[in-house]
Amino acid sequence: MAAAPKFAKTHEWIRLDDDGLATVGISAYAVEALTDLVFMQLPDLGRAVQAGESIGEIESVKAVSDFYAPVSGEVVEVNAALPGNLETLGQDPYGAGWLVRLRPTAPADLASLLDQAAYDALVKSQPH
Amino acid sequence: MAADELLAAEAVALDRPVVRIYGWSEPTVSLGGFQRLADARAAAVIAGLPLVRRPSGGGAIIHGTDLTYAVAVPRSHAWGSDPQVLYDAFHESLAAELRERGVAANRHPGRDRAAGDELRLLCFDRRARGDLVVGLGVNGPDGAKILGSAQRRLRGAVLQHGSLLLQPPPIATVTHPGLLRLHPPAAVWDLRHLVSAWLTRVAAEAGGPLDEQAEPFRRSRSGLIADAAARFREPAWLGRR
Repeated sequence: MAAAPKFAKTHEWIRLDDDGLATVGISAYAVEALTDLVFMQLPDLGRAVQAGESIGEIESVKAVSDFYAPVSGEVVEVNAALPGNLETLGQDPYGAGWLVRLRPTAPADLASLLDQAAYDALVKSQPH
Repeated sequence: MAADELLAAEAVALDRPVVRIYGWSEPTVSLGGFQRLADARAAAVIAGLPLVRRPSGGGAIIHGTDLTYAVAVPRSHAWGSDPQVLYDAFHESLAAELRERGVAANRHPGRDRAAGDELRLLCFDRRARGDLVVGLGVNGPDGAKILGSAQRRLRGAVLQHGSLLLQPPPIATVTHPGLLRLHPPAAVWDLRHLVSAWLTRVAAEAGGPLDEQAEPFRRSRSGLIADAAARFREPAWLGRR
């Protein structure tokens, strides 16, 4: 069974799967804050990314936002169906709304990210 | 665009919002961060005008008869989290100032997706929630839009661009009436005073000082701005989509 997701402070989630790859998406909180998504750009396959590096952009009616690699690794899969079905992000951000799959350079780096409780606390502390 | 991008770093360094107000020396079209260049090139309504691409989202703006603002807000600020909050802070502050001058200015409730707003090339032909319109229900069911804004949400700061349409641009006059055409200029329309009153209200909303960066900012950062400007001039940036 896949591990529980961990979270970056920049609102991406990442889950280490049984095959050793990591699936990355955007938290429900972040998707809800963006509202009315209109366009998304995903990274190229095979791209080597560093933790914290921008790996794509998403545009809502009012805002263009980057999303970032929670850990370093290689992009081995992208959710190519997502840009044409952006509503999926809002409907199922932790499932069908995944963004990319990475082959982590150092899977142990996931341990330094936030667990669900710590991320929930971060979200609660966000200014409103 | 280059100076605006540097505002974000300035806001992070100062840990408070920084704003810049400016106009344009010649009519120019700025495209939203992800608009298709081919769509702009094919649009007769803006044919022949120079094109630039903003880092922020939203629709294309025909600059030249507008007043443009850029504000950068640190992510840690109360305006740094929810996109709508920053949008509303600038729009409602201006609406309140205009209402005090007898103008029926309101934030638009937003249209549903069926209106296809994201497919419309020009910002002032779109209506997003919070867009500032004059005469909602009087100047057509959607009012006459006079202020629209859009954001680039960076890691450390949010950069918001906005355009206050003062006069109709040379083209698109039917859908772009402009504030001063709707309300002919008089003493009450001293723009310098209007902008000053607007920013005073914004600062009050922010609960703290609002730094305004103008010429000294550009002079002191001329090297950095030149470097950033070179990136914005690259064909790859304009043609990124």
